[in-house]
Amino acid sequence: MKLVKLQDTSTDAGCGFRVTGFISQLETRNKKHFQTIKNRTMKNSKYDGSFYLNPYLGGVILGTVLLLSFYISGRGLGASGAVKNTVAATVNAVAPQHVQNSAYYCQFAGGDKTPMNNWLIYEVLGVLAGAFISGIIFNRLKLKVEHSPKITSRRRLIFALAGGLVFGFGAQLARGCTSGAALSGMAVLSLGGYITMVAIFGTAFVVAWILRKNWI
Amino acid sequence: MKEELFVSGRNIPNIDPYLNIWHWQIPGYLFLGGLAAGILFFASFFTIMGKENKMEATVKKAPMIVPFVLMLGLFFLFLDLKHKLYFWQLYTTIRLESPMGWGSWVLMIITPISILWSASYMKEVFPKWDWKFKILNTIEAWLIKNRKIIAWPMAIYAVILGIYTGILLSAFNARPLWNTSILGPLFLVSGMSTAAAVIMLMSKDHKERKIMGRIDILLIIVELFFIIHLFMGFLAGSEAQINAANLFLGGKFTTPFFAFVVILGLIFPLIIEIFELKGFKVPIIVPAVLILLGGLIFRFLMVEAGQITRYLY
Repeated sequence: MKLVKLQDTSTDAGCGFRVTGFISQLETRNKKHFQTIKNRTMKNSKYDGSFYLNPYLGGVILGTVLLLSFYISGRGLGASGAVKNTVAATVNAVAPQHVQNSAYYCQFAGGDKTPMNNWLIYEVLGVLAGAFISGIIFNRLKLKVEHSPKITSRRRLIFALAGGLVFGFGAQLARGCTSGAALSGMAVLSLGGYITMVAIFGTAFVVAWILRKNWI
Repeated sequence: MKEELFVSGRNIPNIDPYLNIWHWQIPGYLFLGGLAAGILFFASFFTIMGKENKMEATVKKAPMIVPFVLMLGLFFLFLDLKHKLYFWQLYTTIRLESPMGWGSWVLMIITPISILWSASYMKEVFPKWDWKFKILNTIEAWLIKNRKIIAWPMAIYAVILGIYTGILLSAFNARPLWNTSILGPLFLVSGMSTAAAVIMLMSKDHKERKIMGRIDILLIIVELFFIIHLFMGFLAGSEAQINAANLFLGGKFTTPFFAFVVILGLIFPLIIEIFELKGFKVPIIVPAVLILLGGLIFRFLMVEAGQITRYLY
């Protein structure tokens, strides 16, 4: 898709934003409509050109989603469980013998178990779809690596992978991640949920300070 | 383990109680046939309307893939035959009551038309193309002159082919899930929607994509309505048909059907396309691929589930 970069001359000249060639065509044909799109994107624009929802509003919406999830499906939210089941299903497809011998894998896969027919798998598909729509609305659908200007994309990706590995390992030890153990756990006043939350954010606080040069 | 006791005078392996004769080849063909029918219909429609130069991907580029799509579909059908070497007998045995006979003849007519249509645009799509023989150039000149005349039978046969992909199932009244005349229009609309998705993927013109996007939105809404109507009909039908519908409304096909066909294959692309129409920036590949996948999964589920349903108890 062709990208056109336009400069806003009327208000803040330094704050450029991207619109599609299609929108620029609209400009000539339908000025009023273009103006509304322009105003909307300008209002949410940040210095780096990315657009997000107000985090406090986002938090309230997330809480509502959690409540609705309990109400509609009778299950809390989760994320690492979907990855775990996908891994278990993959291992089962490649090496079923290993799954049978492993005390960990045989909880989720092998035999009559259907790890991919699981509520979390569908929930994560829904999360992807919802995130995609959010990306469309806030005009940030673009393949990019977000990182501090002081580090390279490669460094950011390596740290993201390393962090993800550690987190995935930890989530399995704790039997849940931020969504499954902390968020959903705290929502039902589970002590484990609170401990998980304190541990995740407490550790993050310390590690973030140690690795702060990657961001600031 | 689920067990079912059943007393019947009929126990024919692979036919009763469950049909077990149609495998991946049939839904694969139904998908390809619907896709080809949709592309050919749009190509002839916009030609008849005189818009061939405004809708280049629809009229010129997309039909280029149709002969290959149809041939692949025919190959799938060939693989499905038990006695493969006798396939030609479908053309020597004329039986009006045979759905396969009808399908064979429709394909026999529309495949050459699609090849001729693609041939007439070869030089426009591939400027370096050379037919080498004088006779081929003469034929091409004749085809180019008579495109509008060819477009009419192509449109009509495209609709017949699209409906036929559904009729192949619904002519099989012995299975409750297929015993509904709505399958014809439903498969036609679904095929046209997948065709619109392919055209949007192939088109580089914003105006054309917008027109196809609008058509696709309409088709998806109609398809959703047909799906609702399909189940309304079943639920108001006999006990066997209620059981058939329950496979999708709480039974074993519920999750794949609603997650992959209705939500990810229809509603989600519909929302994205509406956003695109409103002027938001959207990578068109996402809704297009989801529509194609949804259409494919839908046919697999309908063929699979239909074979399980039965009147005999």
